[in-house]
Parts: sequence; C-alpha cells; structure tokens
Amino acid sequence: MPSLLQRVLRSRFRIATQLYAALAGAVGITLLASLVAWYSFDQVGDVQERVNKRTVPELAASFGIAQRSGALVAAAPRLAAAATLEDLDRVRVSLTAERSAFQAHLGALLARGGSHNEEASRRGSALIANIDAIDASMAERFTLLARTTALRQELDTLRNHLSGMLVPAIDDQWFFTMTGFRSLDAPPAPRAEHLSEMEFDRYRLLAGLRADAGLGAQILASAFNLSDAPLLEPLRDRFQATSESIERRLSGLGDAPGAERMAAAFERLQTMGLGAEGGFALRAQELAIADRQRALLAENRELAVNLLVEVEGLVSDAQGSAGRDTRASAEAIATGRNLLLVLNAVGIVGAGLVAWLFIGRVLLRRIDKLSHRMVAMADGDLEAEVDITGRDEVADMAAALEVFRRHALEVQRLNLVEKLAEELKSKNGQLEDALDELRHAQDQIVAREKLAALGELTAGVAHEIKNPLNFVKNFAEASEELLEELNETITEVREAIEEEQRGLIEEICQDLTENLGRIRGHGDRADRIVQDMLKMGRGAADRQLTDINQLVEQNVRLAFHAVRAADSDFALDIQQDFDPEMGEVEVVPQDVGRVFLNMVTNACHAVDERRKAEEASGASYTPTLNVVTKRRADHVEVRIRDNGSGIPQDVIDKIFNPFFTTKPTDQGTGLGLALSSDIVREHGGEIRVESEAGAFTEMIVDLPLATAPTAAEGSDADDTETPA
Amino acid sequence: MKRSRTVALRGGRRRATRWRRAIALSCAAALPAFAQGDAPPGVSDEAVNFGQSAAFSGPSQALGTAMRLGIEVAFKEANAAGGVHGRQLSLHSLDDAYEPEAAIANTRNLLQEERVFALIGAVGTPTSRAAVPVAREAGVPYVAPFTGAAFLREAAAWPNVVNLRASYDQETEEMVARLIADRGVKRIAVVYQDDSFGRAGYAGAVAALARRDMVPVAVGVYPRNTTAVKTALLDVRRGNPGAVILIGAYGPVSALIAWARHLGFNPVFITISFVGSNALAQALGPAGAGVFVTQVVPFPGGSQPAVVAEYAKALRLYAPEAAPGFVSLEGYLAGRMAATGLRRCGRDLNRECFLAALRDAQAIDLGGFGLRFGDDNQGSDAVFLTMIGADGRYVPVATLPPPGLVR
Repeated sequence: MPSLLQRVLRSRFRIATQLYAALAGAVGITLLASLVAWYSFDQVGDVQERVNKRTVPELAASFGIAQRSGALVAAAPRLAAAATLEDLDRVRVSLTAERSAFQAHLGALLARGGSHNEEASRRGSALIANIDAIDASMAERFTLLARTTALRQELDTLRNHLSGMLVPAIDDQWFFTMTGFRSLDAPPAPRAEHLSEMEFDRYRLLAGLRADAGLGAQILASAFNLSDAPLLEPLRDRFQATSESIERRLSGLGDAPGAERMAAAFERLQTMGLGAEGGFALRAQELAIADRQRALLAENRELAVNLLVEVEGLVSDAQGSAGRDTRASAEAIATGRNLLLVLNAVGIVGAGLVAWLFIGRVLLRRIDKLSHRMVAMADGDLEAEVDITGRDEVADMAAALEVFRRHALEVQRLNLVEKLAEELKSKNGQLEDALDELRHAQDQIVAREKLAALGELTAGVAHEIKNPLNFVKNFAEASEELLEELNETITEVREAIEEEQRGLIEEICQDLTENLGRIRGHGDRADRIVQDMLKMGRGAADRQLTDINQLVEQNVRLAFHAVRAADSDFALDIQQDFDPEMGEVEVVPQDVGRVFLNMVTNACHAVDERRKAEEASGASYTPTLNVVTKRRADHVEVRIRDNGSGIPQDVIDKIFNPFFTTKPTDQGTGLGLALSSDIVREHGGEIRVESEAGAFTEMIVDLPLATAPTAAEGSDADDTETPA
Repeated sequence: MKRSRTVALRGGRRRATRWRRAIALSCAAALPAFAQGDAPPGVSDEAVNFGQSAAFSGPSQALGTAMRLGIEVAFKEANAAGGVHGRQLSLHSLDDAYEPEAAIANTRNLLQEERVFALIGAVGTPTSRAAVPVAREAGVPYVAPFTGAAFLREAAAWPNVVNLRASYDQETEEMVARLIADRGVKRIAVVYQDDSFGRAGYAGAVAALARRDMVPVAVGVYPRNTTAVKTALLDVRRGNPGAVILIGAYGPVSALIAWARHLGFNPVFITISFVGSNALAQALGPAGAGVFVTQVVPFPGGSQPAVVAEYAKALRLYAPEAAPGFVSLEGYLAGRMAATGLRRCGRDLNRECFLAALRDAQAIDLGGFGLRFGDDNQGSDAVFLTMIGADGRYVPVATLPPPGLVR
C-alpha cells in the first residue's frame, strides 16, 4: 500500500517534538565536532604558516642556489665551447638570466644572515667572477679563431697555387731538359744547354720544392688541428726545417723561370707558419686561452661543490625547523583526530539509541500496527477496535481511524435496512400485480362461464324450438297451397256466388294469404335465430396456417358485395393498408373469417345509416372503411375502422353480450359480436373497441402468433347486426 | 638559365598537401626510396623538371655547355609540340667545374632544394662516380651521363641509371680494332688522365689490346685539370709507338698533340669521344689534321639518320647562334630519350615508371638512331669514327684512311 507508506513517511516527520529533540541532539554533537575540528585546523594552520613564512623560502632559496649554481657550472663550458659569435651570444643571454636569478637567491639568503649563508654567498660571488673571466677570454679567443680561419683558407689557396705553379714547372723543366723546347714558338736550346747538370739540378730542386710545399702545408694544417699545447713545439720545429729546406732549394733554383713567383709564394707560406701573426703563434695563444678557461672551469666546479656543501647545511637547517613544525602540526592533527573519533562514537551510539528506542520501538511498531488495522478494515473487518495508545500523532490517527470504523459500521447497517425495505416494496408490487391478474382471470372465467352456460342454454333452447318451428313453417306452407286451391275453386264457382259474398270471400282470402306470408316470414326469422344459436355450441374446427392479409381481404369484399347486392345505392370507399411482413398465423380460417365478415358487415350498416341521416339533412358524406393489418412482436393486429354513426359510450360495454342489438328485431340476432368474441378468445386473442358516437368506430383484433391449444364451445349464428 | 618552377595550382590543394608531406618525410628520413604517392617531386600538372650538374667552367666547360644546349633544344622542341602529356619540360643546370665534390653538392641541391624529377646530362666520369650514389640513394633517375665509364654500365648496381651512349670499352675496342685492321699498327701507346675517367679508358684500351695478345708499348699519365702533359709525351715517345690512344680532355690532349707535332713525333693520334671534339679541333688548329676521334653519336653535320636533320633544324630554331656539334647532338639525343621515356609512361607519371619505360624498352627509335636496352642499361652500342680534316673540320670516316690521304 504505497499511500500508506507515504502517510507513514509523512507522519514520521510530523512526530515533531520527539524528532526535533533527536535532531537537536545530533546537531549538538556535530557542532561540538566542528568546534574541535576548527581548533585542530587552526593549530595546523599556525604551524603551516610558520613553515611557509620561514622554512619554505629558505628551502626555496637553497634549492634555487643549488639549481642555478649547477646550471651556471654547466653553462660555463658551453660558453667556452661556443664555436661562433652567434653561439656565444646565445649562451651569454641564457647565462645572464641564470646569473641574475642566482644572484637574487644569494641576496635573499644573505638577508637572512647566518654563517652558512655568508659562506655560500661568498662562494657564489667567486663563481660569478670566474664566469665573467671566461666570458672575457672568449672575446680574445674569437679574435684568434677568426685569424686562424683566415689563415687556413689562405693555406688551401696557397697550396693550390703552389701546386699549380710547381706541377707545370716540373713538367716543363723535364721536357726542356729532354728536348730543349721551352715553348712552341721558340727554337730548341742547344743540347749542351738543356742537357746540362744545372737543368737536371733544377728539375731535382723543383721536385724537392713540390714535396716541401706539400709537407709544409701539411705540418701547418696539423698545427691548426692540434689540441695538445706541448706537441706544438715539435711541429713548429719540423716546419722550421721544411722552411729552411725550401729556402735552400729556392736559392739553388737561381733565376729559373717562375722562380721569383715561387719564392714569393713560399715566403708567404713561411710567414703563415712562423710569423708573429703566424699559425703557430696563433695556435699557441689559442691553446693558452683554452688552458686558462679549463683551469677556470675546474675552479668553478670546485666552487660549485663547496657551494653545494653550504647549501646542504642550509637545507638541513631548514629541514630541521620544518621537521619541528611538522611534528607540532602532526600532534595537533592527532589530538583533533582523537577528539573527533570520540565525538563520532558518541554521535553514532546516540543515533543508534534514537533509532532503536524511539523510532523503532515507539514509532514504527505502532505505525505498523495501525497500518495492519487499516489493511484489515479495507478488507472488511470492521468489528475489532483500534486500540493504540499514546499522546502523539500516531495515537491521533488511531483515534481517527476508530471514529472512521464506527461510522463505517453504522453505514453498513443502514444500508442493510434500506435494502430490505426495497425488497419488501418490490414483493408487494408483485403481489398486487398477481392479485390484479387473478381478479382479471376470475372475471374472464366468470364471463366465460356465463357465456358458455348461456351458449349451452341457447343451443338447448334452439334445439327444442326447432321442431315446433318446422311444424309452423311446414303447415304455413301447406296452408298457402290450400289457400291457392281454395282460390282456384272459388274462381270456378264464382258465378255462383253473389257479388257481395264474392267480395267478402276474396277479402278473406287476401287476408289469409297475407297472414300466411307473415307466419312464414317470422318462421324463417326464428329459424335463422335458431341456426345462430346452434352455432354457438358448435364443435372445434382444425387450425391451419393462414395468410391473415388474404383472409381479411376476402371477407371485406364478401361483406361489401353482400350489402351492395341488397342495396344498389350503397357505396363505400375501402382503404386497405396491409403489412407485407404479416405472414401466416395458425388459426381456424372459417371462424376468424366470420369475425372479419361480421365486423365489416356491421361497418357497412353503420355507414349506410349515417349516409341516410346525412342525406336527409342535405350534407355531403363519403362512407369510408379503413382496413389495417400490422405484425407486432408477439401478435398480429387487424384494425377495421369506419366513419359511420359510432357507438354511444353507455352501450359499448354491452355489445359483446349475446342477443344484444340496437337493430330492429327483424334485422339482427344480437349474436354476431358475441360469436366473434368467442372465436377470438378461443384463439387466445382479444377484441378492443374504440368509438365516438356520430364519428367513427374502430374494431381492433389481436391474434397471438403462438396460439393456445384451447377450444371453447360456441353457439351457431348466421349473421349479426352491428350495434349502432 | 631557364628554370621552370611551376607549382600544382590546378591539381588542387589536396594533392599539393600530400606532395609536401612526401617532401617532409623524404627530408626527415634523408632516405627517400622510390617516391610514393600521386605526384613525385618535380612533376606538376603543367611541368616536369630535370636537373643537370656539369662543368660550365674550367678546362672541360665546353662539354657541359654543349650538353646543356642539346638537352634544352630537345626540350624546347618537345614543349613547342605541346609538351609531353601536357607537361612542359624544363632543365635546371648547376656548375660543378668537373670537380667531384661540387658534383655531390650540386646533386644534393638539385634533389632537396630544386626537387627535380630526374638528373640528366651529367658530364664526366669522376663527377658521375661521386654523384650517382647520391641519386641512387634518393631513387632519382640518372639519365644519359656524358661518360662511357664501365662502372655505370653495371645495371644491377645502379637501378636508377639509364645510359645513352656506347661505353669507353666499346670506343677503345673500336680504336684498337681499326688501328690494327686499317693501319696495321703494331705498337700502340696510351696516355691517360690520372682520374677515374682516364683509368676507365686506359682499362678499356688495355683490355682491347690484351684480347689481341698485346700490351701498350708505353704509358703516359698527366694530372687532371692541368695541361702538364709534356712528361707523359716524353714517356710515350720513348716507346716509339705507331699510334697513341689519348684518354683525356681537349685541353691537355691538344697540348700533347701540339707538342708531339712540334717534336716531329707523328704517330696516329686517336682520342675518345669525351675529349670534346669541337673544342679539340679548335684548340689544335692546323696541328689537328689527321687526329681521329671515336664518337658515340652520328656525325652532326650530315643528314643521316633523320634525327641529325631534326637536330639541325631544332638548333636553327631555338639556338641559331650555335654550331652543330657532337656533344650538343648527344645532349639533344639525351633530351629526346628523356621525352620518350616520359611519353611512354603516360600522364600518370612517376620515377619507377619512367625508369622502367626506358630500361625495359626493347627498342626506341630516335629518328633512326636506335636504342636497345634489353638486358643492360645502355641504349646505344654504336661507335662512329671521325677525323679532323686539313681544314680543321671533322669528317666521318668508316675506316682509318692511309697516312698519305690525311694531309
């Protein structure tokens, strides 16, 4: 039951006082814990601040110095190793940045005082001074380098130049020595001249010069690449020797062709090697500077090591104080932590107790009980009482639930009474209906019995009357024949009779003939009445499926023509409205047909009567007959309506009684409608009459579709007159 | 120097970007194997760039200049006909002064800075020896170098080399064969330049002689890039040769022949195509009469085969001031051969395809000058013999005429 759960949840928050009390306890514990934590953090913060303000800057400066001094010591060789001026500038820029950072750290350290700091600062300054010295020597070194490079390039050119001179010279000298030709356009020298010792000697000197030129250039190039200063001197010595050899050979060459050009080139070679600005001197200076730089670098490294020692001292001092602070901080943290642990334990135990004692035992259990009662009530158990005690909202709810239970119980009872009353009322109605039906049936039975008795009586009377009546008729007829014979006889004897007597006799015969006619007429009428009376008690005929529409139409026509045959002035407007769905109904067709014939005949007489009355008053009138058939759910309905003279209200109840007629005594037997009523009742149907005097009459015949298999006795009747 | 540096504008940005990435990768790796991708370096939608490192200064400058002239004329002729598959051919030439170190520097420059599609018309054996490994490393075609050195004919060692001309071995073989057959010379001396070119020719001559159970009767050597040839002259004269085979450049060779004539030393002088025939004739003047030169291209003053006439026509059209010459004809043939390779490769050009189109070709007909690669990387095996006439002009000869007819 989710709504119940929600209600439980909601009501839990509404247990205001008790819950507020529990919450206030929890808040109190939390506040206490926060105070302890705040105090603890404050303590740690103090220590942290001490570390931040004093120890960290010291450590940062120390690390900065260590780092920068390392960078400076590392950068110094790069300074020394710079190959070009651009390189040097780049190194200088980075070095300057490092140095200013280093000096800043040193300054910071010095401001703090202390023996370690002063010592570190002093060594740092020395380091910077050394680097400045290296930097200064670099300028000198680059000047030298530029000169050396120029010399090297010149040496290459000079070597090619010497080779270009010496190779063709040697070739020419050898050719001259062999052939005496110096040039294509000069005649050859005499053999004594070109094959002389001097020419051979020249060839030898030239070849030697070529070798010396190569050697000298080689030695000088080696000197440029030399990095070990002591080895320079032996090289210089060998170059000196080569130079002297060249000088000797050149002087031996004398005025040989091209000798002067060669001498100049060789002199240049010598100067390049041994001159004050020569390769050896330059290289010596370069190596000296390099040595000096190396020494400075070594010193730098040592200074850096010492500096690091001082910095380590600084760092360990800073670490010591940082350690103390850290310990204090750790103690503050431990105290705070322990206190918080205790408070947490108190809070947890308190919360557990509140949960167990109050919420579990007091609140939830009762709410649970309440919920069970509600579920039981919802299932229909309204009898047991809600018995939850207490002074809180749960108790209120229980009381409210109890009220609700009682109301529900009351309502349940009231509903029961009302239901019973209702049932009683309906049973009464049924009883009344049954009673009505009973009365009606009783009436019908009574009427039927009455009619049956009357019919039997009538049939019996008719039977008894028939025989005397036959006598009356037969003797009346015989008397008429006798009267005719009498008349014939009188005629024969007429002459014999006196005038006066003759008249009297004729008059008497006339009266006798009229009397006999009346006897025969009334005898016939009595016979007809007897016939009808006998029909009342006739036997049941067979029922068969019959088309009602067709039956109605046949009898309407039959009746009309019968009336028409008697009175040629008679006219009637017949309007038929037959239900095409009518179908066939199981009836006795002769009987039912007689009913319709009877009714239509009555209607004809009624309209004829009215016609005569209207004609007498001079009004125009059209006799009209409406015949309507209709199939209903469980019966068929035939309505025969005329606009004739109508039936007054006071006679309408009597028209079905036998022998009741409004016609003159010689025109109706008063049995037609009684017979019709019998026939229809035998078929389980009924005849209804609606009429207004001077306006219309409507006969309504209802025949059930499922017919009751009963057959009642009925009396014979030939024709009936419409009660009008 | 005409230089067509066209960037793929119509080819679209995407292709250009890929191109640049390929360059970046190549430069980074310094080992670009045969270039992959859409367009190899030096090829755009509109142009193909070739590079040349040759001597345009120094004693051999006539060779480089004439070679460049011939290639350019061939390229201009092709460009005037609408280019090759719509691409204009261009040549970027750098001077190496016949020095191997400069040749290496030039080749690197052409490949990395100028980004040429292929190298063409290099001049000289030592320069080629230095440059061709650089080209092979980069997978760049090395087409028609002006040298007959045997090492470049090792097809398997140099997958990127396509030679046009007959080898020095074939030339020296022809020399020895003709000297013996036509003149009945028994004593043959050799003078060569002391570098890889000279040694290549010398080796060819010695081999040709050895096939006939002969050795050089004297050998002379002179330092490269000098005219100090007189010692060599004396050395060969001492062998009393009937003929001297000269493997050298026109400067020293002409000096040697001049001095020999001066000394009255008149063997049959026969020299090699690399000498630079026109320059040699010019330098020798009257002393040149009767000097024989083996050639690897047809006689440029003639009309047969048809390509010579086409060459003459193109020369008149595009370089009217230049006289026909063997070297520029070789350059022209080299240009024609390169254009043929590009054409056979189709519009979808790359270096592998270009190399394959030439090296795998069974027959390429350059207007009657037939090239056949087949199983080697050398197109022509033809060696033609020419002689400097009394008027200092070259005449094509089928055989060496008897001495009397020369003067």
